[in-house]
Amino acid sequence: MGIRKPGLGTYITATYPDKESFPRVVECLVKHSDFLEVGIPTVNPKYDGPAIRRTHFQSSMKGLEAVMVGGYGEVPTILMGYVEDYVDKLPMVAQVAQEVNAVSVLFPDLIFEYLDLVDEYVKVMRSYGLMPSFFISSNTPHRIITRLVKYDPLFIYLGLYAATGIRLPLYIERNVREVRRLIGDVFLVAGFAINNPDMVRVVINAGADAVVVGTALLDKIHDQERCGEFLKWLRGGLQ
Amino acid sequence: MNVPHYWYNINVDLPKPLPPPIDPYEGDSRIALLMRIMPSELLDQEFTALRYVPIPEEVRELYARMGRPTPLREAVGLERALGNGVRIYYKFEGALPTGSHKLNTAIPQVYYAIRDGAKEVVTETGAGQWGLAVSLAAALLGVKATIFMTRNSYMNKKQRVLFMRVYGADVYPSPSEVTKYGIEALRSRPDHPGSLGLAITEAIEFTLMGEGRKYIPGSVLGFVVLHQTVIGQEVLQQLPEEPDLVVGCVGGGSNFSGFSFPMMGMKLRGEGFEKTRFLAVESTAAPKLTKGRYTYDFPDTGGLLPMIKMLTLGHDYVPPPTHAAGLRYHGAAPSLSLLIKEGYVETRAYEQEEVLRAARLFARTEGIIPAPESAHAIKAVIDEARRMPKGSVIVFNLSGHGLLDPDAYEHEVV
Ligand SMILES: Cc1ncc(COP(=O)(O)O)c(C=O)c1O
Repeated sequence: MGIRKPGLGTYITATYPDKESFPRVVECLVKHSDFLEVGIPTVNPKYDGPAIRRTHFQSSMKGLEAVMVGGYGEVPTILMGYVEDYVDKLPMVAQVAQEVNAVSVLFPDLIFEYLDLVDEYVKVMRSYGLMPSFFISSNTPHRIITRLVKYDPLFIYLGLYAATGIRLPLYIERNVREVRRLIGDVFLVAGFAINNPDMVRVVINAGADAVVVGTALLDKIHDQERCGEFLKWLRGGLQ
Repeated sequence: MNVPHYWYNINVDLPKPLPPPIDPYEGDSRIALLMRIMPSELLDQEFTALRYVPIPEEVRELYARMGRPTPLREAVGLERALGNGVRIYYKFEGALPTGSHKLNTAIPQVYYAIRDGAKEVVTETGAGQWGLAVSLAAALLGVKATIFMTRNSYMNKKQRVLFMRVYGADVYPSPSEVTKYGIEALRSRPDHPGSLGLAITEAIEFTLMGEGRKYIPGSVLGFVVLHQTVIGQEVLQQLPEEPDLVVGCVGGGSNFSGFSFPMMGMKLRGEGFEKTRFLAVESTAAPKLTKGRYTYDFPDTGGLLPMIKMLTLGHDYVPPPTHAAGLRYHGAAPSLSLLIKEGYVETRAYEQEEVLRAARLFARTEGIIPAPESAHAIKAVIDEARRMPKGSVIVFNLSGHGLLDPDAYEHEVV
């Protein structure tokens, strides 16, 4: 299942704010985005900023069971979790992903902390009919980025800043352009601290195929209307 | 030869990616704090995707006015004294006006702070080399400098304190009585000798206490290492032959990294230096390279900065106060730490006495009294040269002169 480009993706931690309202949150996000990223709640969301961290801590469940609460599949769904929690349980993650109709599992710490696990990760994903996807940062070594391209991933996700939701004064266009140069026509997703259409436009014009919004959504998800309006407004940046 | 046009960013050539900085789970976001305290361009450089970062023309000009490129010399006197046909070259960063490599990053950091509208730059210093460099850079570029100097050094290195004041800086011993953190440290231990980690915390607190202030750090962080690569970029042009061994001393890692990374980068990219070994030398007073853990830790004692993954002795490490040299920091630059962990850089730790004996031999054969920090590299060079076959080539970074470190030499000579 391919992702439309230019595309807008949304991130939400599974069972945030609680098990009962989570499916309704997903409903809104699915209606207004081209793909969905569902976080596997963990006690150790190490690369996340304060707001997303709070969603992990406040989710009513932790671990893979939480992602089974929602119904996905209307748009491509990607599970996102820390591989640190699943080093010996990759097949289990892949199986759950398959069961909930996800197309891929993204592990933001895979390249940084578990580089030796990449081949195994790709093998397991493929054997469950899923595609691999990779998370990198702006200063990930070029040789490693070009190696990731060879795995023919669903996408490469560039984290624009050091942590989700925290904007730093970085020349993100230049970093997106540099990564685009390295990965050829592999689908490039960019995210972290995206919160307005101008920023969406800048990142897309610099060469990203899609952006993901997470932190900026959090105070709107309780209200279907606000959530929808905010996402429509962001989509303005895709044109 | 000209001053280089680019700094070299080794992060994009490392064998493994640098794990990103992270926030601890308690308290406010330290990553968000960076934005309030540090010049924005420096943060961009910390995360840049570029391999070569252009050096602004104004900075190049100041580099040139202050004496860059610095000379690369053959240590003929030392070679003769050792007498076994090993050739030894050294890059002399002590030729810069404040006597060490620190000016290489002080100039761009102050420059970027001013571009952000800063009227004052604030920093910490151990032995005082960094404080002195910041004081001069601030004077050259026309802003105020405020320096927190570890109390033990402040008492022992009076000339450096004096010269910082000549350049116009305010200097406080740390722990000081001007920050909350300093006052607390003094209350719990009135004879506190200070530590670099503690001085960093004070400098950050002081930065946040007033308007128009920016905090600038002397080592460890990626952009500091980046600026110091001006040394190695010059070395690439100056070296007459490919060395078998590259040596530098490590406090936080900036001079070793700045000196060696352009060569290491060529090795990592398969463009040369295949047979070259790299050796990082530290003091037994703060042996993070040989005895530290590779883990996330705070760069400062108070835990105000984001945690970075590095070789560390723990952020509350306080080195023995009897140690005279500046290599007393608890952690090492993340890129250097990663290269050590992956086996690309060898490490060694030396005691103060043996280091100062090596310094004396160097002074008598080459005429330059080395900074006690740099003398760690010299000690390793002498040891290695004695073991290497005739015709081998060593190059090392003489990161500073020791003309302002009589306290260190007094211990040993008098
Ligand atoms: C002359 C000299 N060399 C080396 C160092 C060590 O610092 P770094 O490893 O960051 O270059 C210092 C730091 O105080 C120094 O003054």
